[in-house]
Amino acid sequence: MKNFKQSIFTAAAALTLILSSCHKDKVNPKPTPVTDGFYILNQGLFNDNNSSLSFYTYSNKTVTADIFNAANDRGLGDTGNDVEIYGSKMYIVVNVSSTLEVVDAKTAKSVKRIQLFDGATAREPRDVAFYKGNAYVSSYDGTVAVIDTATLGVTKYIPVGRNPEQLAVANGKLYVANSGGLDYPNYDKTVSVIDLATGTVTKTLTVKDNPQNVGTDGNGHVYVLSAGNYNDVGPSLAVIDDTNDTVTSQTDFDGSGMVVQGTTAYFITSTNAIKVFDLKTMTGVTSNFVSDGTAITTPYALAVDGSTGEVFVTDAKDYTSAGAVYAFDKNGKKEYSINVGINPGKIALLKQ
Amino acid sequence: MKIKAALSICAQCITGIVWLGLVFVPQYVSAQKTDTAKKLKEVKIKENPVPLVQTIAPAQQVSANSFDQLGAVNVADAVRNFSGVNIKDYGGIGGLKTVSVRGLGADHLAVLYDGVAINDAENGQIDLGKYNLNGIGQITLYNAQPENILSPARSFASASVIAIDPVQPHLSPEKPYKIVLGVNGGSFGFVNPYLQWQQRISDRWSYVLNGYLESANGRYKFKNTEDGSDTLQNRINGDVRDQRIDGSLYWFKNDSNKFSLHINYYNSNRGLPAAIINYNSFSDERLWNRDAFVQASYLHTWSNGLQLLLNTKLSREYTRYNDPSYLNGTGGIDSRYTQREAYQSVALGYHITSNLQVSYAGDVAIAAEGAASPNNSISNYAFPSRFTFQEVLASKLTVGRWRFEGDLLHSYVNEWVKIGAVPPKQNALSPTLLATFQPFAKPDLQLRAFYKDVFREPTLDEQYLFAPSGKRDIKPEFAKQFDFGLAYRKAFDSFLEYLTLTADGFYNKVTNKIIDLPQKNPDIPSVINLGSANISGVDIGIKTQTRQSSGWKGSLSANYTYQHTVDKVHELQIPYVPANTLALNAGVEYKSFGVYYNQVVSSSRLYLEDANSVLDGYAEGDLALVYKGVISTKAITFSAHINNLFNQQYAIVRSFPMPGRSYLFSFQINI
Repeated sequence: MKNFKQSIFTAAAALTLILSSCHKDKVNPKPTPVTDGFYILNQGLFNDNNSSLSFYTYSNKTVTADIFNAANDRGLGDTGNDVEIYGSKMYIVVNVSSTLEVVDAKTAKSVKRIQLFDGATAREPRDVAFYKGNAYVSSYDGTVAVIDTATLGVTKYIPVGRNPEQLAVANGKLYVANSGGLDYPNYDKTVSVIDLATGTVTKTLTVKDNPQNVGTDGNGHVYVLSAGNYNDVGPSLAVIDDTNDTVTSQTDFDGSGMVVQGTTAYFITSTNAIKVFDLKTMTGVTSNFVSDGTAITTPYALAVDGSTGEVFVTDAKDYTSAGAVYAFDKNGKKEYSINVGINPGKIALLKQ
Repeated sequence: MKIKAALSICAQCITGIVWLGLVFVPQYVSAQKTDTAKKLKEVKIKENPVPLVQTIAPAQQVSANSFDQLGAVNVADAVRNFSGVNIKDYGGIGGLKTVSVRGLGADHLAVLYDGVAINDAENGQIDLGKYNLNGIGQITLYNAQPENILSPARSFASASVIAIDPVQPHLSPEKPYKIVLGVNGGSFGFVNPYLQWQQRISDRWSYVLNGYLESANGRYKFKNTEDGSDTLQNRINGDVRDQRIDGSLYWFKNDSNKFSLHINYYNSNRGLPAAIINYNSFSDERLWNRDAFVQASYLHTWSNGLQLLLNTKLSREYTRYNDPSYLNGTGGIDSRYTQREAYQSVALGYHITSNLQVSYAGDVAIAAEGAASPNNSISNYAFPSRFTFQEVLASKLTVGRWRFEGDLLHSYVNEWVKIGAVPPKQNALSPTLLATFQPFAKPDLQLRAFYKDVFREPTLDEQYLFAPSGKRDIKPEFAKQFDFGLAYRKAFDSFLEYLTLTADGFYNKVTNKIIDLPQKNPDIPSVINLGSANISGVDIGIKTQTRQSSGWKGSLSANYTYQHTVDKVHELQIPYVPANTLALNAGVEYKSFGVYYNQVVSSSRLYLEDANSVLDGYAEGDLALVYKGVISTKAITFSAHINNLFNQQYAIVRSFPMPGRSYLFSFQINI
């Protein structure tokens, strides 16, 4: 009887060992610096703690998956929302983990992880913009954090509206889109204007429900795209004059995921087309930029390379499986597509 | 004379326990009955030692005397060793534990309490972790449906059924009461005292009162393998405080004429531990539940054999969910949901001939949902109500060594709302066919097969909650089940007391799957019907026990399930359904002592419809030491458990780690 019991034990222990040795061994090759290409921030899925960073190299046409994990032996965490390169560093905004990951732009090696918390409560950062050596990070707790990019310390929190999303700098001022997205369907509908010399809100402008995207043309205009309330208020584009900070026009507009390059804006339409819009004349250039019939299941985010006119479109597929990125030349013809992580939501182009 | 009558009643009670066996192995049980009646004074309750296996549809059972051996405190613990069962466990004492069977979602499982479904029209899935085992006599898992065709229509309406049967009183005039006092306690600051009072009022009337308290801080250590940390972290906000009190009144003339009334109240206040997110360990969400139900059942048999079974249930479930740190403009989420249901079932059964039984059951249910929020965090709420009418015509026929059952279920669902529009009415016919065949003269081996067509309605949350236009027009999800298998059962006079072996191959096809799809705006849940899934697999169960020999006794059971699941949209394994699961239970008893080892093994699973999103497999072993003795004529049980003996770090649900090694001690005395 004793032997029988013992052998059961041995068998069980062996089983446990076999199963626990089934873990995939993590291979962490020494990160080699990247020079040309772009980063893709994959959001992963809420609560799955599986945000990741992919890198595509133009020269050898390869994708490095999860380059952040490979460089740092740890994960980004939950829901990476924004990635931007400023100087030699790259800044990754991770929403639920409530961090601003500051990494070397060429190796993705961590320089500092800045935790954005109010006491124990996460501020839930969303977006980052830069001006004169400062990083400005909007957070869902209704603040914009001012971070000195030299010391990487938070110097100030500026209160803005509810659940701010994107922000952009124009004429020495920061324009913050207050979405109120967590108050569905009672969205916020304001844009906070922050004077960057004093770090205070000087004006709050009213736009349409649920402003999300902010773009500037460097020529006196700020463009704010509201998503509407997904019911009776549709998406709408506001144009703000950045000298006197007034809304000069507000136009109903079928689009999301706006990216402004020069005086051209790119949007994803409700029919999953890529729309190009001339901001000087406020008229459409084309209702579908993709000219060769390339089918993208769920266009999710856009990026434009101003020097080549290339447009990158991410595909979130069904939001639960690995996504893709499509690269198009300036004529809307597909150059290539690559497989990336789950919910690719932001692209950062690495310029030499 | 009186004693004799009492004995005969008790014998009938015992028959009740082995009632299912009685229907199909009469020759065996009638011998058992006589035998038991003789021994009644010494052994009080004696069950058929050979487990129930030769049912028309596969069935697996666990009874109260095994709960200790399994280290089980709640219903989810007790059923996790069954084959075909997959528990989605969010970890810890208060963690949500839902059960799915044979790759079908948890919404395809019905949970019956004393024959009447515990219905959750709002969420659909029943948290079996909420049901402490105090007062529960036995739990049976049926694939397809329960054995008795004289049942409410609802018990025919799911792909599989977990039947929870409360303890029935077995008392004599000499000792008209029985008191069971006990306490469980151990790791996680867990303390769970309980009391059961059984009282005989007269020859026919008796009652049982049960009550328990559970309290735990829920803390445990776990390893986060994703954030680069080396040290173990603390699982926080997992505290639990809950109480349940229930009373049952029984009138018992005989097996065919009886009445029962149950009143049940449950109150709980628990923290909801957040998903493990790198660099952010904050967690302060809470959940409160206050559930109450009254349920009555009456069975009458006329002298001509016509049977009437009435079941009535009124229930109210109140849930409060609070997330004070949600960054909205109104100071967090504080939502209170109330669902009320009135349910009535009427069933008639009749033996047309000795080998042909027919039944008809009609069930009517009205469920109404309410929601309120002091800070307006629920918007656009429809206040839906659902009327369900289900009726089933069932028949059972025995011809030689063949047994057949054919059922046709008709379901009608209509909804109305205070705000907004309603989806169209639903009408569906769902047939079931079952058959068994005994190939040899000896009844040891039986072959069986079934086909069952079922569907599940979208839950009221899936249909209405946070839908931008008020409702979503979700259609029912359909499942077709096929099963072919064998059941072998043999009692021996030798070293082994018995051996049972069951093996079933199954194929399930799910169409119109109801899935929760994340959207661009994560705050608006998006539910749609998308795609289909195929599940093919094998359930194998083996169970054996030795006869007691010079004080020693051994038992061994193993349940294995293989499932090949294909989500037809992605051509991948269905998330959270492992290909291989194995449950192994081995026990050695010497006189009053028993040592039991339980092992659960699962292969890897996907946690998303993505080939790279893999959760590692795990093997978890539990050890139980049980002493059953007598202190001055009072039967006592003491048990000590080491759960997760090898301190394996694993998660069943992504981001929700399970506890490492933990301890549980139990003491019980019968007065």
